[in-house]
Amino acid sequence: MTRREWLALISATPGVSNLLNAAPDAPASPVAIAQCPTYDEDVTAKLSTMFDQLGGIDKLVRNKTVTIKLNMTGAPGNKLQGMALGRTHYTHPKVVGSVAYLLGKAGAKRIRFTESPWAWAGPLEDVMLDSGWNVRSLLAAAPGVEFENTNALCKRKQYARFKFPGTAYMYPEYVLNQAYEETDVFVSLAKLKQHADCGVTLSIKNCFGCVPASIYGDDAGIDEPNENPKQGRLAVVHQAKRQPSKIAPPELHPGTSNTAGVRVSRVVADLTVVRPIHLAIIDGVESMAGGEGPWIRGVRPVAPGVLIAGMNPVCTDAVSTAVMGFNPRAGKGEAPFYRNADNTLMLAEAHGVGTTDLKRIEVRGVPIEKALFRFVG
Amino acid sequence: MIDMRMCHAALLSLLPLVCSAAPKPADWVPVRWPWSDTQSLDLLNGTPVNCLLLTRATPEFVAAAAARGIATLAVNFDPAFPVDGMVVEGETASVNRDAQKLVIELLPRYKMKLGSPAPVIGTYQGVWPGIAADDGKTKHSGPTSSAWIDTNTGFLRAVRAFGTSTVWLANRPPEKTIVSTARYLQVIAEAAISGARWVIAFDDDLARRLAKREEAALGTWKRITALLAYFEQHPEWREMKENGTLAVVQDPSKGGLLSGGILDMIAVKHTPVRPIAGNRLSAEALAGATMAVNIEGDALTPEQKEVLRGFTRSGGMLLNGPPGWKDPTPPAGKITLDEAELDRLNDMWKDVNNLIGRRNMGVRLFNVSSTLSNYLGAPDGKSAIVHLVNYSDYPVESVTMHYLANYPRATLITPEGKPKPLEVYKTEDGWGVDIDRVVVCATIKLEQ
Repeated sequence: MTRREWLALISATPGVSNLLNAAPDAPASPVAIAQCPTYDEDVTAKLSTMFDQLGGIDKLVRNKTVTIKLNMTGAPGNKLQGMALGRTHYTHPKVVGSVAYLLGKAGAKRIRFTESPWAWAGPLEDVMLDSGWNVRSLLAAAPGVEFENTNALCKRKQYARFKFPGTAYMYPEYVLNQAYEETDVFVSLAKLKQHADCGVTLSIKNCFGCVPASIYGDDAGIDEPNENPKQGRLAVVHQAKRQPSKIAPPELHPGTSNTAGVRVSRVVADLTVVRPIHLAIIDGVESMAGGEGPWIRGVRPVAPGVLIAGMNPVCTDAVSTAVMGFNPRAGKGEAPFYRNADNTLMLAEAHGVGTTDLKRIEVRGVPIEKALFRFVG
Repeated sequence: MIDMRMCHAALLSLLPLVCSAAPKPADWVPVRWPWSDTQSLDLLNGTPVNCLLLTRATPEFVAAAAARGIATLAVNFDPAFPVDGMVVEGETASVNRDAQKLVIELLPRYKMKLGSPAPVIGTYQGVWPGIAADDGKTKHSGPTSSAWIDTNTGFLRAVRAFGTSTVWLANRPPEKTIVSTARYLQVIAEAAISGARWVIAFDDDLARRLAKREEAALGTWKRITALLAYFEQHPEWREMKENGTLAVVQDPSKGGLLSGGILDMIAVKHTPVRPIAGNRLSAEALAGATMAVNIEGDALTPEQKEVLRGFTRSGGMLLNGPPGWKDPTPPAGKITLDEAELDRLNDMWKDVNNLIGRRNMGVRLFNVSSTLSNYLGAPDGKSAIVHLVNYSDYPVESVTMHYLANYPRATLITPEGKPKPLEVYKTEDGWGVDIDRVVVCATIKLEQ
């Protein structure tokens, strides 16, 4: 990419169809990028340097309970060309282990890995093992490592309510597993991917997985949550075919849209407000292009060879989107926001979470133009 | 004047009888041999192959094979010279049976003589095993889907549960298909882990290239025979019986003869299962089982039903098929379930699936979506093995196995390398081991 092209990319304005306005005073925060060609590199050292570039994580996590939302989307049996899941659409276990080690070293009291795995309310460790992860190694990576499935109540006795402070896009309140409430620091450990419905799935979209299928799933109970969900989460949020279980309030504007790229984008933008992300880490060492999982037709494995991290999820995702060769402020219908998707990053920006304006985001470590890996073209 | 050629032929014809060191039929390692020139036998040097199925033969060829300790079987023809036996293959094939000759029948599945005292029973009908192709509809359509594996293992285990004969699976590679080396290895391994033998059959391309001694073809043949040797080096594995704590009681002449049925569905869930032929149902057969599925509840005798009542009285969990539910009887020419039967079976499968969930039924495997397994126990209970076969084109890495029985020692045995002791660690419900890599197959040996 030439400097001219680069300037064109970061200066690009959102498409005319995008009705959202950027929030000029949305906070900006530095983002660190490291090149990491393979998982055989010293991932821990690279992440450590990146955290230092961000000002260090000791103050953030010392003596704190840290909850880390992983990306383990789709059933572990569903692999792209038989490849290990961490090389395509799951967060790679080596990155997970490195993050645990560094958090432990920085003094975190408890390191809780969470995910709401596909159609499963049993132990998260089972899904990790099914994904080829070495759970014992993760447990040994730092003191106080634990795992929680958040797809239902699971280990908990009650759900936590996350009321939106103001006007939400979709739901006035989100009802999630208590693990997301009983935490001091929340980390989104995501994958660098496109998303068929939402354009990109990075640290913000990763948190869609906080939404429990017991309440928002296809087989969620009408009156009460279904504590043994066996299906996914399409009918309620993506397709507007029904409302969540009555434990959670219905959506604010029913009948407005049944387009997943509109609805899911709004939900995850809301979630960045009700469940703020303190540290966003994007695993882009290896990934897939064309979609978020092997069930999307035409996806292919790619090796962008990057790790990206920041303290602000919108800024981190904006930089990550640029690293993927897209305009982070692109509008509906523009790459990568096909299928009439709204730009999740700008929705979150409009909520005041962070800026998508690359000119306001300081990139530390490797510059975007050097880390650039085009996912399309 | 004595015709010297006749004399030579007569002497040659005696050789199969003279070579008394030839292995027993149950130990034969069979190949469909497409050649009848004696030079072709050089391909067998250093291999465990010791039985050739021939569609044509000469006395010289048979004698040369016998001289190498290799049995010859005439397929659907009756040669004028002695061979070690005959193979009757097909729906209607027949030969003039000579009481002196061994006859191995390769029949349609539904005609197999289950429980026969014959040393070998077999069929020419089998699915070509492998991960089912993406049809763009149901099998790989969403994030939920796991791979379905077309397999003969359920059928082989059902047949094996009925009797003691060695089972030969003599299906051929799909027509007009060049079969990769990995696919040959998979079909061999899947039969072997079920205690059976696949009758090696070359696709036309491999046969042609082997005849020319092309290097790549010889490489494939070397890997095939190395895998055969791997399994033949462990005859004790064939003596072991399915050891899972989930028993499936089924009339083997019905659904067990079909591929894609309950046994295969359970196998694809990586749950160890112990098939029990209905007429062999006993307290001994259920010993160690904690759950049982009685497929066709109405088909059992009062005595057999009493065995199941005893099982539940002693704490076992029993799932009976729905009242009036009939296990499908395979029609002629069919070895898989049609859509209607699958739909019907789904009702039962949902119950079975809910029953077993992801419980540890003796062994629980993780990260094995492209594999099938078999958990077998030694008769003395002092050791057990878990076979794994990988059906993907890539090695499977980072497999974890949790098991319930008290086997504090575990060894990984593979065709590629020396046996490797595995670190055994405690888990919540038993023991665990981690396996770094499975190429085509691997066996974990567990010992007290």
